[in-house]
Amino acid sequence: MILYDAHHVAPAYAVRLLAGFLGLPLELQGMDVYPGHDDRSDEFLALNPLGTLPVLVDGDTVFTDWQEILAHLALAHGPDWYPATDPALVGWLGIARDLAASAGAARLMQTFCVPGDLAEAKAQAERLLDEVERRMWFAERAGHGWLLAGTHPTIADIAAFVSIAPCEDGGLSLRDRPALRRWCDRVRFHPGFVPMSGVFPPMANT
Amino acid sequence: MTMVPGNWYAVAAEHDVPAGHIYRTALGGNDQAIRELAIWRASDGAVQVWEDRCPHRGVRFSLGEVVGDELRCQYHAWRFAKGGACTFIPAQPDMKVPGSIHAKAWPVAVSAGLIWTGVDPVGEPPVLGEGAAIRAVPVARPLAEVETALAQADLPGLALTLQPLGDTETIVRGLVANGDCAAADRALAALRRQLECVA
Repeated sequence: MILYDAHHVAPAYAVRLLAGFLGLPLELQGMDVYPGHDDRSDEFLALNPLGTLPVLVDGDTVFTDWQEILAHLALAHGPDWYPATDPALVGWLGIARDLAASAGAARLMQTFCVPGDLAEAKAQAERLLDEVERRMWFAERAGHGWLLAGTHPTIADIAAFVSIAPCEDGGLSLRDRPALRRWCDRVRFHPGFVPMSGVFPPMANT
Repeated sequence: MTMVPGNWYAVAAEHDVPAGHIYRTALGGNDQAIRELAIWRASDGAVQVWEDRCPHRGVRFSLGEVVGDELRCQYHAWRFAKGGACTFIPAQPDMKVPGSIHAKAWPVAVSAGLIWTGVDPVGEPPVLGEGAAIRAVPVARPLAEVETALAQADLPGLALTLQPLGDTETIVRGLVANGDCAAADRALAALRRQLECVA
């Protein structure tokens, strides 16, 4: 499997993270998005006309949507990560997409000079972070540790994590969002976790 | 005046600090500079409230990790024991760590399911009675305004206390007597909307 990847792009990190949890080898095709704009090359646009990262090539199939890639890998290699009978999965993946478009966008504006309305992105992100914090707090009180009820994390956790964990890069804060910080710890300590810049791995227990 | 030396302030609930986790908050305002706090538990359960800053290079302790009975800084992995004394510097493994290297530890009291601290707090924390610790609700208004609004609000069964974070933000904490945290949360969310809208 070839992943067209850029280290700092959160949706690409989501795929690397799920692959880490599932123990799947990925052949990474690194893209110089900034300042090289490899994602606007004719060659890449022929693969994915929208020009978004990541892109996964698995055999003859090309996947160009990051959440579809998560679903594909989970269905093929780790169905526990894709609880298809729980409608909440759809809701949470939607929230994760909204987080990418707000918290994730604010991070790209702040760190990689991507143009956009920073104030609006942050305001929307604050509303979403407050709501995810509220839900996670009550989930913890009910004995759950993940976004969906149950004992196993899902692709929704991964999809939300990649926008929430590095959100301080975008000028947002997890201080006084304690349930989100505890949930981030649970993701970080899950076996197979892979880090990215600003998202620390658990240190070796020595 | 927002934070008053001598007072106790609730800065976390006990359930905010499970073993192995470093909770992050802040306290301060007005003439008191805002202090970032890192709160964690030693393996015997003793709650530690520390300034969220490694004395070595100033990195936030809340980015670090609890290892056994110690907190380890993320940056150079210096370790600090409960009370705040530095115990081990990996780059100088054979050196006896000088006693002057210390995390700044704050006074701690645990009562009614809440964790309290303050600047030179006097006596015991306020008694809030019995109940379940509610979800803390941040309000982007100064402490005095939140205090006034709470005094006027009809919030039966709630015993509340305020944590000032600078001059413009306040966290509402407390207990709900009947244990209905969801109802308490809805009531405080409505109060928050009301307070933040008039801003």
